[in-house]
Amino acid sequence: MVKRTILAFSTAQRFVHWLIVVAFSLLVLTGMVLYVPQLWPLAQGEAGMLLRLSHRWGVIIAFVATLIYIIFDLRGLATSMKRIFTWSPDDMGWLRAAPAYYFFGDDSAMPPQDKFNTGQKLWYLTVVIGGLVLFITGLLIWFGKGSIPAGLFRWSVFLHDLAAIAVSAFFLVHLYLAIAHPMMRAGLDAIRFGFFPEEYVKHHHAKWYEEGMRSKESE
Amino acid sequence: MGRVAMLIDTSKCTACRGCQVACKQWNDLEGWEYSKTVNWGSYENPPDLSPQTWTRIRFHEYEGNGRLQWLFTKLGCMHCGDAACVKVCPTGALKKHAGLGIVTVEWELCNGCGYCQQFCPFDIPRLESDTLTGKGTAFKCHFCQDRVTNGLLPACVKTCPPGALSFGEWADVREKGLARVQDVKAMGFTEARLYGDTLVGGLSRLYVLTAPSVAYGLPDRPTYPALANIWQDIVQPLGEIAIGATALGLLLNFLVVRRRIKVEEEE
Repeated sequence: MVKRTILAFSTAQRFVHWLIVVAFSLLVLTGMVLYVPQLWPLAQGEAGMLLRLSHRWGVIIAFVATLIYIIFDLRGLATSMKRIFTWSPDDMGWLRAAPAYYFFGDDSAMPPQDKFNTGQKLWYLTVVIGGLVLFITGLLIWFGKGSIPAGLFRWSVFLHDLAAIAVSAFFLVHLYLAIAHPMMRAGLDAIRFGFFPEEYVKHHHAKWYEEGMRSKESE
Repeated sequence: MGRVAMLIDTSKCTACRGCQVACKQWNDLEGWEYSKTVNWGSYENPPDLSPQTWTRIRFHEYEGNGRLQWLFTKLGCMHCGDAACVKVCPTGALKKHAGLGIVTVEWELCNGCGYCQQFCPFDIPRLESDTLTGKGTAFKCHFCQDRVTNGLLPACVKTCPPGALSFGEWADVREKGLARVQDVKAMGFTEARLYGDTLVGGLSRLYVLTAPSVAYGLPDRPTYPALANIWQDIVQPLGEIAIGATALGLLLNFLVVRRRIKVEEEE
């Protein structure tokens, strides 16, 4: 019997994800050098200038990735945006049930979830909002120095740091759940190959599964 | 030697700009702006501080005491008592001399980010930089720290023909400035005052002014940017704690989950 699967991420979405991984790694590794005093030797002089240049290449890669998403899968992007901004009482239920599940595998109190569960929505929101803040303040820092008021530059640097901290802290959780948590395996396969096993979706993303069933029936 | 200061007595300054030349000579700075001099309606030259011009006389016209006056402001790093540039520098290139209170840029360490310039209450540091790549270096007056630590006066002070500049221990310089203000007042300059001793932790560049500071283009109430401290003293440490706590939480989760799975397998 063939194991049935459900398409989770389009080719464009998967490609954009991995391009963002490249950009994000470059941006975090070159950016944190300015923020962690122990790494200052790397930020000084010519080495520092090279890091600042690499940071700019990171922005360009992230920007291109976003453009690719918009050009090749605008529908996917729009649907995902709608999903992460749609919240229901089940999300509060997820927050209450999450510790028991992620520590002890007890999902008895876990309400049914959409394509993105509450934690995934929070991460996605952090990426979208944090990314926008980083992009706008970053452009102001890059091109605005000297031409924008000093007050605006100061706030840009400040907010850039704040957003970087928020995204980096949450990123650790994302990375951990993707590659290290002993119970989580399906997500990494889905973002690599695009598909979830049907059984997995039925169990972990029941609302999304039902939504899919309904649209199939109406077809 | 304790904290040092420079007194700039604007009542004596003739705007000869010998200080500008001496600064370039001692610090081996180029005079490229002079070769590009254009008439822009002022005797001021060069028109702005630059990576190659660390001090400059700015000209102001002012009507006071019933007559038109020409005011001269010698610009350069104020060497603030509370130096925001040192606080925000992410490479340690900006330093404050522990004893003398002189603020310097160590160029080899600077990567050109420009935070020092943007957080300066007086807009003093200048960057030699490329906007697109970000490559750059910050420059500003360093009170001739190399001369001062060897018992010499800063080059500008040494050369000043009318004796408008003097240099010494901060408290002595302040006393001298206050006394001079009284003399200048007695000469009829009723608006005379000392500028800088109470600002931004006390400036190391103190001015004897004959008119309100704004007439000299000096900010009335320059403020240390509070954001510098909120950023460096609160957000940064909290951010490190937040990221560290997240990492610890994940490690704890990993250990708990692995142990539970092992126990279940054994059962």
